[in-house]
Amino acid sequence: MIVLRHVWKTYTVGGEPLHVLRDVTLDVAAGEFVAIMGPSGSGKSTLMHILGCLDVPTRGTYHLDNQPVHEWHGRALAHVRNRDIGFVFQHFHLLPRMTALRNVELPMIYAGRPRAERRRQARQLLAQVGMEERAHHYPNQLSGGQRQRVAIARALANGPRLLLADEPTGALDSATGRGILELFRQLNQQGMTIVMITHDPSVAAAAHRIVHLVDGRVADPERVD
Amino acid sequence: MLAAAWLSLTANVLRSLLTMLGIFIGVASIIAIVAIGQGGTTAVVNVIESHAAQQTIEILPKELVEPGLPQPGQVLSFTEDDLQLVRQFDGVADVSYSVNGQGDVGYRGKTINANIEGGPSDLNELANFTVVQGHMYTSADWLAHRRLAVLSTSLAHKLFGNQSPVGQVIQVGGQPLQVVGVAVSNQFNFMSMFLGADTIYLPATTCTDLFPWWNISEMDVTIQPGTDKAALSKRLVTALNLHAHQADAFIDSSGFLLGLEKTIGTITTILTAVIGAVAGIALVVGGVGVMNMMLVSVSERTEEIGLRMSLGATQSDILLQFLCESVMITGCGGLLGIAFGVVASILVHALTPLPSVVSWQAAVIGFLFSMAMGVVCGLYPAYKASKLHPIDALRYE
Ligand SMILES: Nc1ncnc2c1ncn2[C@@H]1O[C@H](COP(=O)(O)OP(=O)(O)O)[C@@H](O)[C@H]1O
Ligand SMILES: [Mg+2]
Repeated sequence: MIVLRHVWKTYTVGGEPLHVLRDVTLDVAAGEFVAIMGPSGSGKSTLMHILGCLDVPTRGTYHLDNQPVHEWHGRALAHVRNRDIGFVFQHFHLLPRMTALRNVELPMIYAGRPRAERRRQARQLLAQVGMEERAHHYPNQLSGGQRQRVAIARALANGPRLLLADEPTGALDSATGRGILELFRQLNQQGMTIVMITHDPSVAAAAHRIVHLVDGRVADPERVD
Repeated sequence: MLAAAWLSLTANVLRSLLTMLGIFIGVASIIAIVAIGQGGTTAVVNVIESHAAQQTIEILPKELVEPGLPQPGQVLSFTEDDLQLVRQFDGVADVSYSVNGQGDVGYRGKTINANIEGGPSDLNELANFTVVQGHMYTSADWLAHRRLAVLSTSLAHKLFGNQSPVGQVIQVGGQPLQVVGVAVSNQFNFMSMFLGADTIYLPATTCTDLFPWWNISEMDVTIQPGTDKAALSKRLVTALNLHAHQADAFIDSSGFLLGLEKTIGTITTILTAVIGAVAGIALVVGGVGVMNMMLVSVSERTEEIGLRMSLGATQSDILLQFLCESVMITGCGGLLGIAFGVVASILVHALTPLPSVVSWQAAVIGFLFSMAMGVVCGLYPAYKASKLHPIDALRYE
């Protein structure tokens, strides 16, 4: 599903080139659950932004489902983000003035889906993450774990095939984090491809495979399970 | 989309309202300008039309019409010869004259200084009176120099209170006159703004008996039906000037009307200019305010913009969202401005002699204009928002 070849990401800081990603090559097959680990500043988020079509590589190629997305721009990338990819962030990023239900509807609005269908789908997704009781709560009326569940429901809204999560348990206590992790595992068992960034080895242990990133390079590949 | 824009604006109601203020004042001013401008035009047209329709020509000494108060001794007066001269012209049906002045009117020890108008025999038809009590003087009264008078409502009230003045005897210029009626003139009269509304009307013949030294200040020529009024007026004025051995001693009062028209025009122009300046400044300041508020809003909501982009919003989605907010804010300001402008015009109409006319066209134009302001002032901030890089936006974690 993901085919990343010799990807570099280079920023220019104070006139000097700063290589955040160096020659990263990575394959993720459909249905896989991959954890990306690495010290702070090693380029994990940068890698995930490229995987999520929020950013483009400076060099190298990225094929998503055999499509050369590294060549794409603007509207085409927005379309990929909208339909093919679901994002989960460390800090949830729910819009504070909208209820859980409306937050889940948001990606479907950009997909141009009719209101009634949006409503129905959003309710169903909230039920799937165990939040049907809280559909009309605002984010500030929800706990961290509950917010992350709503954010996951939102990521699933347009039925993506790839779920990208940047430290999804990073802002949660460990018990709550385990609940979220369990949800990811269930989704994966239902066939969802997941790439998850984490600091926590016990969280990473939930994945099939761990990719270590050090200084923007992929360190020795390691197989779990 | 609209619901989302509304949600954002109501997130900070006070800020949104303050931002609307400039647009509000601007649009309200536009509405008021148009209302006053149209009202002024209507007033001018009314004055001219009401005179054009009359079958009379009014001729005045020119000094009366010139700016500044005339010196009493210098004002030319019509003589009996002048009246005779005019009577001989073809197309002239009748000639009468008016005498005006100020004098004391007394009743049982009370004395009030009032306008005294000695009018033509058919004053009733000319000046469009509403008779409140009694009746107007008649042509018979005029012919017979009868000692009687009609009081304006305000003068009647001052002299008699709630008592009926009809049949009572008042003192004018030391002579007794019997009150036969109380009436109010329906003609829109600028002079009454300066001279006050306390007036007594009496036959000009009676008036010259009481005040023989007063100038005959106005000649009213009734014309025969089918006569070319303008041409006749020109011939009469030329003849009178010749007779007085003065190039332009007398003029047709439509010249005076032109003066009136000019006065109304000047007032309207000044008001329009002043309010126009207010509108212009308010709209510029308001527009800058809207743009500023939108820029602040964009930078405050970087995270939201990045999130929306990550969920699949295109640049045009973001552009449209912020344009919507900006147009909604100026549109609301515009609607409030229109409401206020309409109320203000109605107040102007009620409280001043200037008639102001609110037109729905002005309201529609004001509304469209305020929406256009929203597009113009929102375009740059919205463009800036749409050009944000999603990861820079999300890095606000
Ligand atoms: N726009 C940028 N300009 C310059 N340096 C950047 C930019 N974005 C990220 N970096 C740098 O790239 C490095 C990797 O960042 P990131 O991918 O967020 O690391 P991680 O998520 O692994 O902590 C950091 O040192 C960061 O300072
Ligand atoms: Mg990171």
